[in-house]
Amino acid sequence: MISQRNLGLVAAAATLLAAAPLSAIFDRSTWLFQSTIAVAVVAAVAALARLGRAPRWGQVLAMLGGLLLALTWLFPSGAELLGVVPTPATIGHFGALAEASLVDMRTHRVRVPDTDPLLFLTVLSIGGIAVLVDLMTVGLRRPALAGLPMLAVYSVPVAVYVDSVPPLPFVIGAAGYLWLLAADNVDRVRRFGRRFTGDGRGVDGWEASPLAAAGRRLAAVGVAVAVLLPLAVPGMTGDLLDRFGSGTGEGAGGAGRGTASQVDLFSALQGQLNQGEVTDMVKVTTNESEPFYLRFGTADQLRSDGFRARPPSGTAVNREFGPTVPDREGITRSRYRATVEVTESFDMPLLPVYAEPVQFKLNGRWSYDPNQQVLFSNRERSSSKRYEFEYVRSTYSPTALRQARPLPTEHSLRRQTAAPTVPEVEALVDELTQGQSTEFDKVRAIYDHFATENGFSYALSTEGGTGGQEIVDFLTNKVGFCQQYAAAMAWLVRAADIPARVAFGFSTGTKSDGDTYVLTNRNLHAWTEVYFDGFGWVPFDATPAYGVSGSVRSDWAPDLDAEEEEVTPGPSTTAGPAGSGSGTNPNQAEEGLEEELSGQPSGTGTPTRTGSSWLWAVGALALLLLLTAPALQRSALRRRRSGRRMPSAVPAGVATGGASSGDHRMMVLADADRARADAHAAWDELLDTLVDFRQQINGAETPRATASRLARDTFRADTEATSAVRLLGRAEELARYAPDPHPGEPLLPALRRVRAALVAGSDRRTRLLAAALPPSMVLRWRGAVADASARLMSSYGRFRAATLRWSPRRLLTDRHPR
Amino acid sequence: MTQQTRDEVGGLLPHDEFRAVGDAIVTNIEQVIEGKTATVQLALAVLLAEGHLLIEDVPGVGKTKLAKALARSIDCSVRRIQFTPDLLPSDVTGVSVYNQETHDFEFRPGAVFANLVVGDEINRASPKTQSALLECMEERQVTVDGVTYPLQTPFMVVATQNPIEMEGTYPLPEAQRDRFTARIAMGYPDAGAELAMLDGHGATDPLESLRPVSDASTVRRLITHVRQIHVADALKRYAVELVTATREAPDLRLGASPRATLQLLRTARAVAALEGRDYVLPDDLQALAVPVLAHRIIPTADAQLARRTTDTIVADLVHRLPLPQEHRRSSYDTRPTTDSGRARYEPRRA
Repeated sequence: MISQRNLGLVAAAATLLAAAPLSAIFDRSTWLFQSTIAVAVVAAVAALARLGRAPRWGQVLAMLGGLLLALTWLFPSGAELLGVVPTPATIGHFGALAEASLVDMRTHRVRVPDTDPLLFLTVLSIGGIAVLVDLMTVGLRRPALAGLPMLAVYSVPVAVYVDSVPPLPFVIGAAGYLWLLAADNVDRVRRFGRRFTGDGRGVDGWEASPLAAAGRRLAAVGVAVAVLLPLAVPGMTGDLLDRFGSGTGEGAGGAGRGTASQVDLFSALQGQLNQGEVTDMVKVTTNESEPFYLRFGTADQLRSDGFRARPPSGTAVNREFGPTVPDREGITRSRYRATVEVTESFDMPLLPVYAEPVQFKLNGRWSYDPNQQVLFSNRERSSSKRYEFEYVRSTYSPTALRQARPLPTEHSLRRQTAAPTVPEVEALVDELTQGQSTEFDKVRAIYDHFATENGFSYALSTEGGTGGQEIVDFLTNKVGFCQQYAAAMAWLVRAADIPARVAFGFSTGTKSDGDTYVLTNRNLHAWTEVYFDGFGWVPFDATPAYGVSGSVRSDWAPDLDAEEEEVTPGPSTTAGPAGSGSGTNPNQAEEGLEEELSGQPSGTGTPTRTGSSWLWAVGALALLLLLTAPALQRSALRRRRSGRRMPSAVPAGVATGGASSGDHRMMVLADADRARADAHAAWDELLDTLVDFRQQINGAETPRATASRLARDTFRADTEATSAVRLLGRAEELARYAPDPHPGEPLLPALRRVRAALVAGSDRRTRLLAAALPPSMVLRWRGAVADASARLMSSYGRFRAATLRWSPRRLLTDRHPR
Repeated sequence: MTQQTRDEVGGLLPHDEFRAVGDAIVTNIEQVIEGKTATVQLALAVLLAEGHLLIEDVPGVGKTKLAKALARSIDCSVRRIQFTPDLLPSDVTGVSVYNQETHDFEFRPGAVFANLVVGDEINRASPKTQSALLECMEERQVTVDGVTYPLQTPFMVVATQNPIEMEGTYPLPEAQRDRFTARIAMGYPDAGAELAMLDGHGATDPLESLRPVSDASTVRRLITHVRQIHVADALKRYAVELVTATREAPDLRLGASPRATLQLLRTARAVAALEGRDYVLPDDLQALAVPVLAHRIIPTADAQLARRTTDTIVADLVHRLPLPQEHRRSSYDTRPTTDSGRARYEPRRA
C-alpha cells in the first residue's frame, strides 16, 4: 500500500513535469499553479480511494470527481454550492469556456495570454492526463503506457510552433517519464526481495545491479540509433540539407521564417531586392484594368529603433468582410475579383492580397486581420498557394480628402500610431506643415518633400534601417529605396499627429498575358498608408517612380517628378515601355545602380531542389555500387587468377621456338613455384566457381576426391568436363604434394570447360545469383566480418580484463565474503 | 639363411618396375583369394612398409589362405604357428638346448625365425605366449638367455583372429595390437567370386599350384624404394592431426600412439608406390586411416552403447578433419583459430 501511494505521488509529479512543454505556449505561469492544484487534488483523491480499497473503476471515478471539483473551484460560474460543488449552471459555464477556448486558440498566438477559456482547457487536459497516468501506473502497473498521454502534451507546442521549439521543457518532461519508469521498476525489485548476482552474492539495495552495465549499453545504443537513424533517411533531414544546398544568403529565406509575428519584413524586403537573380514570386490575375499594389504585410509599431510588424490577429477567412469605412462622397468604390498563384520562392506566413478584400476562396487555416488588412496564418506558409478573393478598390478624390477632420484624440488608432520624438524630424515636419490647414494638405506637403527636385534619389545600396537615427540620416543624405521612403514618410506623418504605417507588397509588375501580372522579387515594395478619418487607410508611395518597376500613382498622390505633365484623372501607371517619368526603364535603372554603386554581397541564388536530388543520385549510385560490388569483385578476382595462369601455358624464360604450349618438356622446364601457384589459383577459382553454383565444398575432401565426386555426380555424361575437372584436381594435388608439380596440360581451358558445364547444369536462379551476387564473395565478406568482429571482441575482452583490475566494484566484491 | 644388410640392396627402382613387381604379387595372390584386390594390396603394402598384419574376420573367409598365399608368392622362408592355449613362448622364440656333444647350450630358433610368420588364431594362445611376439615384432630380434638374435629381413607377422568366438580366447593386449601395422577384415566374397571359387577350388587346392613370383631380395629392394617416397610437409601435418584427433575425440577412451603415426605414413608410402606414384596423397592417408588406426583405439562406454565401432569413429574423423593447405588460408577453411589451437571438427556447410 505504501509503495502504491508513493507511486501515485510519482505519477502526479511526472504528469506535472511532462506538462512543462506548455510553458512555451503561455505567456505567464498561471496555468502551472492551476494545473498543480488540479493534479494534486486528483492524486489526493486517488490515494484516498486506494486507502479505502476502492476497486480500479472506483478509483477512476473518484479521480474524475476530484478533477471536477478542482475545476469548479478554479473556474467558478458563481452558481456553485459552497464554491466547489458544481451545479448545472457550472457545467453550462464549462461548456461556454470550452467553446470560447476554440475561438481563443484561433485568435491568439504564442505566447498566449492568461485567458480563462485557455486556462480551463489546459487544466482540464492536464487533470485528465493525471487521471490516465495514475490509472496506468498504479492501477494497471503499466507505467510505460503512461508515456502516451504524456506525449500528447508534447505535441501541443510542436503543433503550435512551426520551426523551433525550446528543448528544455522537453527534457524536463522526459525526465519525469523516466522517473516514473524508474520508480515503478525499483518498486518491482523491492517487492521481489533480495537481489543476487549470478554467483550468488547478495546485492545491496543501493548497489547497481550486475545487469546495469548491459542496460546502460543498451540504452546508449538505443539513443544513438534513435538520433542517428533519422539523419540517415534523406527525407527527414530535408530542412537541414535545404539550408545548406540552396544558399538563400541574407534574403527572405532566413528572415521570412517563423510565424506571422516574427517576420522582419524590412530585412526580407531588402534581401530580396538585393538578390542578383530575378525570381518569379507571385502570379496575379485580376479583372481590374489598372490594379494598385498587392500587399501582404504592415509595419505599424514604431519605436525608436524603427518600424516593426505587430502580430496580426483576426478571424478565419470563411466569412465575408465588410469595407473598413462606410461609403461616402469622394470615395469611388468598385468590386473586383483576383486569383493569386504563389510560387515556391515566396515563403511566408502571410498571403498577398489587394487592399480591402471582402471574400476569400482559400483552403487551409488562414485568418484575416481587417485592421492591418493582412491575410496570415500561424501554421501554414504561403509557398505554392493558390487562392481567389474579391476585393474593393477605393479611389479618393483629393477634394474629399481635404474634408477629413483630424482624428479625435481618444481614437484607438492614436495610441497605435504614436511616434518617438526625434528633434530633427519634429523640426522638419513643423517646417513642412506650416500653413497647411487640412490633414490631407499636411500629408501632401510631407509627400511632396520626397520629390527629386528636393534632391531625393533612389539607390538600393544604402543601409536599410528605419530607426530614428537612420531616418534622420536618410532625410539628410536623401538617397534610399522604398523602405526608407515609406518609413520616413510614415514617421514624418506620425510626427504630424496623423496615423500612418508602412505597407509591404508588390508593385504592379509586368503583364504576361491578358490580365495576369507576374511579380518577381524586384517587384517587392513598401509604401506608406495614412489614415484619414472617414476614409480609412489611404496609400501614398513616396519612392521615386523611376526606382520602382510598376509604380502606380494616383490623384491624391501623383508622381512628383512628372507633375508638370498633367496626370490623367484616375489612377495611372508610370511603368511600361512608354512610361513617363524619367524615361529610363526602371528595371535597368535599378540594376544599373545596383551594379555601379553596390559592393554589397547579393544572394547567391534562388532556393532550388538540386541539393536533395543530388543526394538521391549519390544514394542510388552508392546502392548500385553496393549491389554490384560482389559481382565486380568476383570478376576481378577471376581475371587476376586467369592472368596468373597465362604464363603457365607459355612459360617465361623458355625459347618458344617450335614448342607448342602443351609440350610436356617445356612445362617441366618451367619454374616449379610458378606452376604450383598457378595450380593453386586454378583450384581456388574452381572452388569459388563451385560455391557460386551451389555445389558442395568440403574442407576435409582431397582434390582428387572432389574431382571424382564432381565427375561422378555433377558432370556424369559430360566426358570433357569430367576430364577437365580431373585435370584440375590432379594439378592441385601435384602442386600440393608432389615434388614435381607440373600437370603437363594448360589449366585455363579446363577451368572454362568446368564453368561452362556448371552453367549448363544449373537452373536460372542459380545462374543469376552466380552472376549478380556470387555466393563465394558473400561468404568471403561474411567471413571477413566475422573475423573482424572476433578480433574486436577479443581485444575488447583483453581491454576489459586489463581495466577490471581497477574497477571499484571489484574491490567491493573482494570485501564481501562469498 | 643369410642376412643381408640394407646397404647391399640396390637403389631406387623405376616406378614401372616397382609397380610391375607389385602387380605380379597381387595377381598371384588373387589366384587364391578372388575378388579381394584391395585387401590383397593392403596386405602387400603392409609387407613393404615393414609392418605386421592382423587379419580379423569370421571363420572360413580365407584369412589363413591369404596369409599363406602371400608367403608363397614370395620366395622366402615361411613359418606357420598354430596358436593354441598350451603354446609356450619358447615355441615361438626358440630355446637353448644342451648339446651333449659340445657340452654346451645350443640355441634352437623358434618359429619366428623366418621372413614370413603366419600366426593362426593368435588370440587362442595365452597372453604369456602372445607377449613373446612383442620383441620380435617391434625390434625384429629375439633375446634368449641373454643372447640377442636378429631376425631376417623382410620380416612380417601375419596373424589371424576370430572376433566372434570369445570362449577360450585371450584378447590381444593393447601393446600387442599396437604392434600390428594394420588390421584388415576379409569380408565375404561377392556372389560371382564365390562361384568362381567353387569352380577353382572344387578339384584342387590352388594354393598347391601357387608359384613364387618374387624373392626376398626383390622385396628388400622394394622396401628401400618405399622409404624414398616423397611426403609433403602438409601431409605429415595431416597425419599428425589425424592421430591427434583420435586422441581428442570425445568418443574415444584411448587414441592412437605415435607409433601409429609412423606406421600410417609408412604404409601410405607403400600404397603410393604400389600405385606407381613417387609421392603420397592425402587420399592414401584417408584410405589407410581405418585399417591402420581403428584396431589401436578404445571407444568409450558411451560410444560402445551407441553401437559406434572404432571403424566408424575413425571414418567419421577422417570425413570431418579438414585438409591442411600450405598455400593459403582458404575462405572455406573450416578451422577457426581458437586459443587452444584445437580444431573443431564440424564442417561448415558451404
